[in-house]
Amino acid sequence: RSELTNLIKTIRNAMKIRDMSKCLEEFEQLCRAFLKSKTIVDKEGMPPFYIRLLSDLEDYLNQLWEDKEGKKKMNKNNAKALSTLRQKIRKYNRDYETEIASYKEVRLFAMTTQDGRFLVICCCCFLANNTYQVFGNIFVTFLSQSPGDCGNRIEVERHTSEKKKEDRKKRHKRKERVEEEAEEEAQEEDEGEWEKVKGGVPLVKVGNQMFAKGTEINTTVVVKKLNEILQARGKKGTDRAAQIELLHALANISNENILGEGILVKIKFNIIASLYDYNPNLAAFMKADMWKKCLDCIDELLDILFNNNNIFIGENITEDSENLAIIDSQPFRVRGCILTLVERMDEEFTKIMQNTDPHSQEYVDNLKDEGRVCGIIDRLLGYLETKGSTEEVCRVYLRRIMHTYYKFDYKAHRRALGLQGETKSEQDAEESEGEDSAFIMDRLCKFIYAKDRTDRIRTCAILCHIYHHALHSRWYQARDLMLMSHLQDNIQHADPPVQILYNRTMVQLGICAFRQGMIKDAHNALLDIQSSGRAKELLGQGLLMRNMQERNAEQEKIEKRRQVPFHMHINLELLECVYLVSAMLLEIPYMAAHEFDARRRMISKQFHHQLRVGERQPLLGPPESMREHVVAASKSMKMGDWRTCHSFIINEKMNSKVWDLFPETQCVREMLVRKIQEESLRTYLFTYSSVYDSISMETLKEMFELELPMVHSIISKMIINEELMASLDQPTQTVVMHRTEPTSLQNMALQLAEKLGGLVENNERVFDLKQGVYGGYFNRDAKRHNFC
Amino acid sequence: MATRKETPSTPTAPMASTSPGATLDSPVKQIQIEGLVVLKMIKHYQEEGQGSEVVQGVLLGLVVEDRLEITNCFPFPQHTEDDADFDEVQYQMEMMRSLRHVNIDHLHVGWYQSTYYGSFVSRALLDSQFSYQHAIEESVVLIYDPIKTAQGSLSLKAYRLTPKLMEICKEKDFSAEGLKKALIGFEHMFEEVPIVIENSHLINVLMWELEEKCTVADKHELLNLSSSNHLEKSLQLLMDRVDDMSQDIVKYNTYSRNLSKQQQQKHQYIQRRQQENAQRQTRGETPLPEEDVSKMFKPPQPPPRMDTLLIAGQINNYCQNVKEFTSQNLGKLFMAEALQGHNS
Repeated sequence: RSELTNLIKTIRNAMKIRDMSKCLEEFEQLCRAFLKSKTIVDKEGMPPFYIRLLSDLEDYLNQLWEDKEGKKKMNKNNAKALSTLRQKIRKYNRDYETEIASYKEVRLFAMTTQDGRFLVICCCCFLANNTYQVFGNIFVTFLSQSPGDCGNRIEVERHTSEKKKEDRKKRHKRKERVEEEAEEEAQEEDEGEWEKVKGGVPLVKVGNQMFAKGTEINTTVVVKKLNEILQARGKKGTDRAAQIELLHALANISNENILGEGILVKIKFNIIASLYDYNPNLAAFMKADMWKKCLDCIDELLDILFNNNNIFIGENITEDSENLAIIDSQPFRVRGCILTLVERMDEEFTKIMQNTDPHSQEYVDNLKDEGRVCGIIDRLLGYLETKGSTEEVCRVYLRRIMHTYYKFDYKAHRRALGLQGETKSEQDAEESEGEDSAFIMDRLCKFIYAKDRTDRIRTCAILCHIYHHALHSRWYQARDLMLMSHLQDNIQHADPPVQILYNRTMVQLGICAFRQGMIKDAHNALLDIQSSGRAKELLGQGLLMRNMQERNAEQEKIEKRRQVPFHMHINLELLECVYLVSAMLLEIPYMAAHEFDARRRMISKQFHHQLRVGERQPLLGPPESMREHVVAASKSMKMGDWRTCHSFIINEKMNSKVWDLFPETQCVREMLVRKIQEESLRTYLFTYSSVYDSISMETLKEMFELELPMVHSIISKMIINEELMASLDQPTQTVVMHRTEPTSLQNMALQLAEKLGGLVENNERVFDLKQGVYGGYFNRDAKRHNFC
Repeated sequence: MATRKETPSTPTAPMASTSPGATLDSPVKQIQIEGLVVLKMIKHYQEEGQGSEVVQGVLLGLVVEDRLEITNCFPFPQHTEDDADFDEVQYQMEMMRSLRHVNIDHLHVGWYQSTYYGSFVSRALLDSQFSYQHAIEESVVLIYDPIKTAQGSLSLKAYRLTPKLMEICKEKDFSAEGLKKALIGFEHMFEEVPIVIENSHLINVLMWELEEKCTVADKHELLNLSSSNHLEKSLQLLMDRVDDMSQDIVKYNTYSRNLSKQQQQKHQYIQRRQQENAQRQTRGETPLPEEDVSKMFKPPQPPPRMDTLLIAGQINNYCQNVKEFTSQNLGKLFMAEALQGHNS
């Protein structure tokens, strides 16, 4: 059997290159092989692939024979072979006439005439499911490849494993066969080997013939037709593209016949719904043309709704109570929810953005649609504000907020800086007419706070509001809102998308604090996200590589769906840099102050990790990456060398990598320099105070380029906090050291004493246990704490 | 060499000298070291040992009555990662065979090791000394402290495992009970054997002569007043050990807590079973079958005590070191003060 298939393969190849002598040779071999396997064939019946070859070969030869010119071009050998082969196959095929005839009939067609007005689809259901899939694939590719092609044929046969290969081959040659098919399409019979089942719901309808000629087209008929079409929805084997076409056709018909907006709205709803249905898979995203169609449809629908005040739509209008016909003074009532459609559209948009490569032109093109999406949401918002219930308004507000919160409002920013005016073109001025996004956010969010009943929408709104505040450097509002909302306490119970939003908000809050110079707040806000080392995952900006045991394919799909589209991403490098720099500003003075403290705790583990990585490097070149810059800066800061530190933190590379990403770059840089100077001064005093007997503040001022009052205040603060054992000598403006810091040996001894204390306590615990006073130790400990 | 009293009557093969009765009290009361051995050890360290690295070697000699005479030694080559398949035993055997050819004592009587601030009480030392002592009864380990030596006084100590510890090591019973029964504390783990350094008379004469020529100023290491560096190092090491100790105690604590908790559970379980059985009896049913309680409650693994003991021993050692050092230094400081007062 495999011999047969191999021979067939070579014959087909020979056919393709018009090598007749080869063809003849192979054919003779094939006949012999077939005779050999006669016994099996008798038992099992004719193998279908054999029949197919015979039939195809004959057709092919006939075609060649008729092609006189081609024959002339052929060399003698080939021509001779052709004629003999033709005669042979004629004789041979006579034995299998019935089989071949039935084979030809069973070919199925999907024909679209040139004007594309009607569509004939013959769908076949198959015995095996996998065949169905194969068919589906072929079918879809067909449609997408050549929608206007005049004759497309899909062949499907009862499936055997060999046939799969053959099928693929067939597709290559489809073009050649198209002519023959035109003649053969007529008769149909059911018999023998070739089983044909008409499956699915046949949608054999022809444009205008959708209704019998002469039928009066009125509302009821159209509705009936609509229902008929809709019944096929969701069924196996229904061609979804064709369904959409049909619905469009129906919409046109109803338009032509002026059946009123009610029915049109109804049809539009269904078109959009079936557009959404087009992808059976939840993970797949819409194709670009589908998406465009969908947007257009929703736009049109909204147009209709705006133009006709007398249309009521709602989910709770039942099918029966719908009112679609034009009856004077009676408003239309249509079942359907525009809000759900728009929400779905928004989700589809997110999905498209998720599935587009963010660094391609395609992404930019897709992103341009964001304006349209926003426009639609805005229009819907206007519509629902007049008509919808509060819940619906809340939902649409949230959509609006979701599209606003992450965008930096450059207009408002410029206006705040007072740059508006002469430099602007007219168009810009026109743009700035619009409300500040801050006001919009405020209005929408406050409405939601007041009216919303579901907790989720309110949580999201609060988070977005905070994010927006933070993005625009309104630190105090953002912080107060965060604290008032008490979200920190129960965010772990929220669903993952909300948690991602929360993480994004926290990060934005931290970055905002940093810009405002609140280093400690910034560090605290970013600590949770950064210390986990999974910032990327926590912010929904990409999946971490993990071994497959931890998550299966299903989970991965779910996680992929949660990802935030690229244009909303927070720059991870910026985030890390902000975190590391704030950790540096906190940690370095702390380290200097507690050099010998046994109980010294790390403020930031990650920062220490970076430092260690830096130390491990065998050869220290000039810093390249952002992390190396920060590590190098930390090292120079440890020495109290603020100038080097400054040059490491703020330079060309870091500017382009990090600092230029802030809107108020200059302010941030100035703030940073000041902070570096101050903290370097502190570090310097901690590290080198043991070397000085006294030091003049004037000198310190010059060393760190700070104003004298500033130096004075920093030193005073250190003295008050008992960090620096010194006193200020007012008349001479000097700091006099008291030299009370223990030497390193003394420090060691102190540490040892402490450790021994711990050891003794532990030992006592063992003793307690032996004595049977279980917990006696802990009680005593608790008491001691109380005294403290 | 001259001092070696080689009497043919004493059994030269050390293995033969070990009679079962002799194991109870130590067969070696004193160690007599050839000056050559000391110099060889010092040289070995100077050439190969750097910082905290440790050098080791084999001691050769023989037992005379209750005195162990160490007459020669040879170093172990330093281990590198390249020659992982280096066969130590092979090397030792070959070395000893070669030495025999040149008529040097070739009997294995122990080993030596350099140390870094006295940190030698470790599991590795215990294990290898045990195997030595197990195979060759009179084996000792010589500990050479190069840092103390650099300060002016030669520091060389010989240790042996006590017979009690040998018993325990033999049985591999390092549980708390076993150690308690054997009355082993960190003080009783090692016994120090006094050392005498013997030289030939000619060398002694030379030494006397050198002593005459040498001025006090040449021995300035002895009078070094700086102390903090050495103390800091010692303290650091001591602290590390104390940390280890704390950890061990915590481990032991959790262990005993788990144990008592389990005891309670076991007790409760038995009681419940008894109650149930009593009820069943009143109802006239057959009592539940006795189950193996110990199978249901597996006792937690007790932490090994030996490590703790070793740490304690090490801490003790450090403390001795520090004490010694500080008392010496205090003396020096007072002397310096007196001198200064006298000069001014």
